[in-house]
Amino acid sequence: MAIFTIDDVEKTFKSGDVSEKILKGVDLALNEGEITALVGPSGSGKSTILTIAAGLQKATGGQVLFEGKDMTQMSQEEIRKIRSSEFGFVFQSSHLVPFLTVEDQLLLMLDVAETKLNKKQQKQEVSKVLDLVGMSHRKDAYPSSLSGGEKQRVAIARAIIHQPKMLFADEPTASLDSKRSKEVMEIIRNLTKTLKITTLMVTHDEEMLPYADRIVMMKDGLIE
Amino acid sequence: MQMAWKEVKKSKMKFLILGSIIFLVSFLTFIISGLANGLSEDNAALIKNVPNGQFYLNEDAKQTYNLSKIDVDQQDKLLADYNGATAMSIQMGFVNDTEDKQHSVAFVTSTDSELFPNVKDNEVVLDASLKDEGIKVGDILTNNQFSGEFKVVGFTEKQTYSHAPVAFISMKNYQEIYRVMEMQTVFIPGSDSPDSIKGLESFNNKEFLNTIPSYGAEQMSLNMIIWFLVVISGMLFAIFFYMMNVQKIGLYGILKAIGVKTISLFSMMWYQMLLITAVSLVLSVGLSQVFSMVAPAGMPFSLPLETSLLLSGVFLVIGFIGATISGFQIKKVEPLQAIQQGEM
Repeated sequence: MAIFTIDDVEKTFKSGDVSEKILKGVDLALNEGEITALVGPSGSGKSTILTIAAGLQKATGGQVLFEGKDMTQMSQEEIRKIRSSEFGFVFQSSHLVPFLTVEDQLLLMLDVAETKLNKKQQKQEVSKVLDLVGMSHRKDAYPSSLSGGEKQRVAIARAIIHQPKMLFADEPTASLDSKRSKEVMEIIRNLTKTLKITTLMVTHDEEMLPYADRIVMMKDGLIE
Repeated sequence: MQMAWKEVKKSKMKFLILGSIIFLVSFLTFIISGLANGLSEDNAALIKNVPNGQFYLNEDAKQTYNLSKIDVDQQDKLLADYNGATAMSIQMGFVNDTEDKQHSVAFVTSTDSELFPNVKDNEVVLDASLKDEGIKVGDILTNNQFSGEFKVVGFTEKQTYSHAPVAFISMKNYQEIYRVMEMQTVFIPGSDSPDSIKGLESFNNKEFLNTIPSYGAEQMSLNMIIWFLVVISGMLFAIFFYMMNVQKIGLYGILKAIGVKTISLFSMMWYQMLLITAVSLVLSVGLSQVFSMVAPAGMPFSLPLETSLLLSGVFLVIGFIGATISGFQIKKVEPLQAIQQGEM
């Protein structure tokens, strides 16, 4: 059953008098608990569709339906609330907060998501999620002392700690070597399957495709 | 708040540098304010100690009390018509002590009044600062314009004028020294809305201070330095937080992407600003109060705690404005832009 539907989404970028249509009517339905990989050549619009789906930018036309509600009609505040409580993000770079320890990064996310957990429960949740990504032993470390792979694991933990319904991953393994990329993808797959999180992932790495349930090819702003 | 505090803890040096700058600027401001107050006291304590009221000068005096002469008949009428009215004159001069050492003083005389010591002919009451110059009660002082001698009959605290200690003398002695019968001004206490008196111009206490030669210019210069420093500290806040915010654009973008409210990011910045400013101000207020206690006796320095607290309030407001102006970048940050920037 589709939890997330992208319906005839268009995106046109304007620069002065010049306008360029990046998305030319994209249709995509994401099923609950499924990992969908968006692949395609550079400039095909795959990152654009991911960021529109994630509420990070507006579509020029079409609808983005999350649990039946059209996000294109929502206010910025409504979209922020959805992003903080229902969505999780993993980016190409880990984008961790440099002055927070691993544990604090996750506690921050629980605060932002306005979960109803008390402090003790929050710490227990953090401990559980850090176990899942194999980072319990580094909970007091700052990002500057973590390796690239470790940072990305923490970023994944941050993305799922508040148990979102959707996970958006934009080239999550692009900054990692092959071995670490596979480790990270294993973690994403295991977690999303365990927690039934619907995942939309952009990747250009063919080695990552076996971890996806569905592969969607994009070309010239359209799904092939 | 927690996130703001954690950043301060993690980036101690960065915040220590800003704190040190704020401390130094505020400390300098307090010291200059103390000097301005001290000089103001030194220049015009005599007038500042007078209760609120109106000073009347001759209209022809061009708002300069030195040039003012109140007609004797008019003076008598005013003293009779207004309860508590006092006619007075001030002139710079000097006295010679028993060792023929010269001391600059401001001779002050007045009609019978509760405002100033009542002094008999050939007697003088001096400001206590002259004690430090070796003068004591019972000493005989002279003046080359005066045929008689002054006997020191007492001292009074903090009565200075134009940076000189005041010497209260009788009207008769004053008239002999300065060869004038008229007084320079008539003071009428307590009248907020001054009566219009023909031929005279009225000044409230504050306005009268500005008729003192050099007082206005001196205070204006010092106050300009003080406010300049306050504005500089505001600009420092704006620049520092601007630089910090530029460095953190990526971070703010990511935090916005994961759902952190813009107001929370502003709160983080305000908390840091308040923390740094409060700590810096506590230190500089404390140190300036210590300086006030140990400042050399001859240095005109007066820094009441209320003045320090008032300036501290101004620093906090200016810091808040400076930080907030720089924070407008936070509002403009687009999460997408930050994500595309890569690692912070």
